[in-house]
Amino acid sequence: MHRSLSFETFRYAAILTFLALSLIPTIWMMSMAFKPVAEWQAAGANLTWWPENPTLDNFRFIFGESGSDLIVALERTAGRPILASLLAATFGTLIAMVAGSAAAYGLSRFGSGGNLPLALIQLRIFPPMAVMIPVMIMWAFLGLIDTWWGLALIYGIVTMPFSFWLMKTFFDDMPREIEDAALVEGCSRWRVFTRITLPIMRPALASSGLFVFILNWSDYLIALLLTTRDWVTIPVYMASLSSSMTGQLYGAKAALGLIAAVPPVIMGIAIQKQLVRGLTFGALKE
Amino acid sequence: MTEIADIPPPRTETPAPPDREAARLGFRLTLPAQLLVLFIAVFPICMQIYISLTDWSPLDGIPWWRAHELWIGLTNYSDLASDFRFWGALWRTLFVMLVCVPVQFFLGLGLAILFVDEFPGRRIFYSVLLVPMMVVPAVAGYMFFMLFQSGGPVNDILSAFAGRTVSIAWLSDPDLALAAVIIADIWQWTPLMFLILLAGLVSVPKDQQLAAVLLGAGWWRRFRTIILPRMKTIIIIALAIRVIENFKIFDTLYIMTGGGPGIATETISVYIYKVTQQELIWGYVAAIALAILISLSIVSAFAIARLRRGS
Repeated sequence: MHRSLSFETFRYAAILTFLALSLIPTIWMMSMAFKPVAEWQAAGANLTWWPENPTLDNFRFIFGESGSDLIVALERTAGRPILASLLAATFGTLIAMVAGSAAAYGLSRFGSGGNLPLALIQLRIFPPMAVMIPVMIMWAFLGLIDTWWGLALIYGIVTMPFSFWLMKTFFDDMPREIEDAALVEGCSRWRVFTRITLPIMRPALASSGLFVFILNWSDYLIALLLTTRDWVTIPVYMASLSSSMTGQLYGAKAALGLIAAVPPVIMGIAIQKQLVRGLTFGALKE
Repeated sequence: MTEIADIPPPRTETPAPPDREAARLGFRLTLPAQLLVLFIAVFPICMQIYISLTDWSPLDGIPWWRAHELWIGLTNYSDLASDFRFWGALWRTLFVMLVCVPVQFFLGLGLAILFVDEFPGRRIFYSVLLVPMMVVPAVAGYMFFMLFQSGGPVNDILSAFAGRTVSIAWLSDPDLALAAVIIADIWQWTPLMFLILLAGLVSVPKDQQLAAVLLGAGWWRRFRTIILPRMKTIIIIALAIRVIENFKIFDTLYIMTGGGPGIATETISVYIYKVTQQELIWGYVAAIALAILISLSIVSAFAIARLRRGS
């Protein structure tokens, strides 16, 4: 279709405006992460968009190296929260993917568990805050408070709706002929599932897994309620990073925020093609 | 090419004739998921109903199963009816939703329309525009916390436009704090609307549009008569997702304002969180949570039934 020059001008102007607005917050945090203490709170005429004396001190500081101008030493460094986030998100994803895709296959091929689709949608609609009282009591009873495995368990359940629905649409789309051929050859259905279907579905499993990982990695509320000290995750640790002596540790928090923000952005771009399917619960596929 | 699957939980096409092996395997495969649902839904909700009828708090020193010693019947529910903080939080949650979702929708739709056809730079612009959505919400909250400081970049940009020093204390003014929270939500979730609506727009067949152009139909007419009817389902999905997620709003908001100043930005999730963690009256929290769960179930069951009938 022919487009006029004025339309093209308008299009680029509009897109560039959007681009600028959507990048400003991220750029500000990136720049803050490399600013020395003296520039953290520079305001008014002194405000600078780029660090004048870029430094890695903020990163050193959160990992416990006292090379920076800050007098305070951290009681706990960022290493452990990063480990907690990694463990909880990874194993949570594993739980969600195993339970979710097994159930999705059971429903897609054998019609079992017909109640699951709606039950899992309901699970997604409810605000997590509204079931947290019983969960906190149960987790305390089971000794799961402040452990990464306790977090992984709840993450697995909370994100199972996504893995289920995503894998269900993938299984539904898969042609049956291959499986049928193997069945005729005398394979058991279980063997067909593990030896034929799952290997074929590897790309789908990978992109669904990454999607679920992003969701788990992004959690703040659940970790805030279920961890207290030893296994707090990055967002919880980050929020606690301020002391009465120094006030907000702007640069240190920004450095940590940058570390937290990078993995999901990279993964999200890697699975861009599947994002629509993931976000719409498989209702829309590209 | 984008296609729409049947939305509400599609009935699976009748699977192969039921043989016993298949039935057994199907049962076993769905069992873990069923157990997890049971574990997270059925048991907790029974517990929640029980506790909501008592005045139990974890500070009482008695375990939750003996909460009946503090039985108060429906008092928590009648308290809820006159709890102005709860109703304020509910109203604020709905207000934020009513502002955020339409703004996100129209911005996302406008942007999606610009991206329908190919132009130089389309792919890279597309990828970069999606970034806000992937930023961890708590981190996004922190970004906006920094941006809205009175000596921060937002005021710096405003100063540049105004030609004088602007130093608005965004996060400590009740109205402006709510505005700041809304801006952060719009920033983060407009890309989601853009992504979904663009997928929908691209799926509208080109030949029909071309035919309409040849018949002399203007852009608006084509949009209204050809594109919009085909987009209906997608628009409903996009709006439903944002309405559901927006109702839960917590992370970004709590990091930015902590619900404050005072209770000026307290939403439902923030309010429940505060009562849970700070005031520790868990019997009451259970009642609030149940009231919300029940209302949401009714609303969503109604919506799903309507959608099913519609398609």
